[in-house]
Amino acid sequence: MFNLFLAVSPEIFIINATFILLIHGVVFSTSKKYDYPPLVSNVGWLGLLSVLITLLLLAAGAPLLTIAHFFWNNFFRRDNFTYFCQILLLLSTAGTISMCFDFFEQERFDAFEFIVLIPLSTRSMLFMISAYDSIAMYLAIELQSLCFYVIAASKRKSEFSTEAGSKYLILGAFSSGILLFGCSMIYGSTGATHFDQLAKILTGYEITGARSSGIFMGILFIAVGFLFKITAVPFHMWAPDIYEGSPTPVTAFLSIAPKISISANISRVSIYGSYGATLQQIFFFCSIASMILGALAAMAQTKVKRLLAYSSIGHVGYIRTGLSCGTIEGIQSLLIGIFIYALMTIDAFAIVLALRQTRVKYIADLGALAKTNPILAITFSITMFSYAGIPPLAGFCSKFYLFFAALGCGAYFLAPVGVVTSVIGRFYYIRLAKRMFFDTPRTWILYEPMDRDKSLLLAMTSSFITSFFPYPSPLFSVTHQMALSLYL
Amino acid sequence: MDPIKYFTFSMIISISGIRGILLNRRNIPIMSMPIESMLLAVNSNFLVFSVSLDDMMGQSFALLVPTVAAAESAIGLAIFVITFRVRGTIAVEFLNSIQG
Repeated sequence: MFNLFLAVSPEIFIINATFILLIHGVVFSTSKKYDYPPLVSNVGWLGLLSVLITLLLLAAGAPLLTIAHFFWNNFFRRDNFTYFCQILLLLSTAGTISMCFDFFEQERFDAFEFIVLIPLSTRSMLFMISAYDSIAMYLAIELQSLCFYVIAASKRKSEFSTEAGSKYLILGAFSSGILLFGCSMIYGSTGATHFDQLAKILTGYEITGARSSGIFMGILFIAVGFLFKITAVPFHMWAPDIYEGSPTPVTAFLSIAPKISISANISRVSIYGSYGATLQQIFFFCSIASMILGALAAMAQTKVKRLLAYSSIGHVGYIRTGLSCGTIEGIQSLLIGIFIYALMTIDAFAIVLALRQTRVKYIADLGALAKTNPILAITFSITMFSYAGIPPLAGFCSKFYLFFAALGCGAYFLAPVGVVTSVIGRFYYIRLAKRMFFDTPRTWILYEPMDRDKSLLLAMTSSFITSFFPYPSPLFSVTHQMALSLYL
Repeated sequence: MDPIKYFTFSMIISISGIRGILLNRRNIPIMSMPIESMLLAVNSNFLVFSVSLDDMMGQSFALLVPTVAAAESAIGLAIFVITFRVRGTIAVEFLNSIQG
């Protein structure tokens, strides 16, 4: 009992911090005595601080992993996998919150509730990563999605933002309905909602001949629901529109945080819950389709945010190949891919936010960035080359390990397709670099310098990207431990 | 035989909810109704299976799902209201200012 609250103290802290921030914001921003101050930066810094303290509580709670394995009626479970995934999630959230402050000042965005919703969804993502039961998984996914619907539509006067919000709501509600339908089918066929029970029931599922159609449909629907949420290709209907229409910090959040938590959850369900074999076909197909679409569709894009949206769809397709092999190496490559993807995406969106001051919306606006702001151009090129998979950078290591794991489990069609689409995809990344370095735009745009938080963030992430190659073994050993504890 | 009958019924409702979302072109706030009917059909699915399996977990799940559905429809209505305020029309087919 005592262990229960100690084990969940990071979540308790962030829940309390969310409520206290909300009350603080409401009380002070409607008080006449202080002349109705806009509290968004204040609440923003406090929100960032609360996320960092949660990270500290989580990281310092490592000894708790040995005494508090499960809590709340075995609905959640904490082990090494959830520990490091939650640390990664909190680090990316802290990074994206620190990108937002300049955005608030420029856009005169006064709603502090934007900041309050972010720790709320972070807490639900923390639960999602450690969820071990269908009920817990569904509730956490829904809570995270609900918070994101609101912040995607948060610029109320803008047509783009409200359209993105309503499209995201419809898409998300639809996919949650499908996911829940799958949970109900599995519950009806097996009577089990907990993943332990599911693992025992589905032990001989692939090997024996008798396949219950209810279980198969249930697992299929759960997989389809997850694939909608992670914007996999046959189900990516409105994802580029949502990414383009939302305010840029929200796009950054959408690209990073749900991908981390939903990948962690889906690997729990499919690897632990059903031994990875059932869903392999559909995940393979979705990975191949995502890689092909991400490479081809991004070539025709002229807007920067849409290009980043398609490139993130493609990159998550690569990462999903690691999931679709059911091996430990596959999960390890998934985790390495997610880590490097999170850092690269934080980098890319920090640059887009920095350039946003001068209304850079189209790719053609990036012309001659190298002459006016050479360091930013070099950083952007490093990030784009890392996405493309050019050798001494981190993106190459993650793609290499992903294809290595795919070949190791026998996916001899997937790896060449991946390599070919990676080469095709390099075209538009290198075209960005060419625009920056070698093109002269018709109207020269003056670039203003970025603020301190973004420059710190860019420095940290781009130095990680460049220096990952000589010494990758800390990340490799951490992810190996995570993958092992997932299988146990 | 018994759970299959009820299960077929709720599956029909769920599929008509999916059809409602995909084939709606006229009316944005009407979009929230098929979403609710999908969640309702799945809820009744849980209850039917819980009774036929004599297990309590389905009923506790069925308590939590309408909570989420209510919160989601509140947020949906809020977002549809601000969409209407910005746009002035409620037709879904005009939801296309983001091209590509």
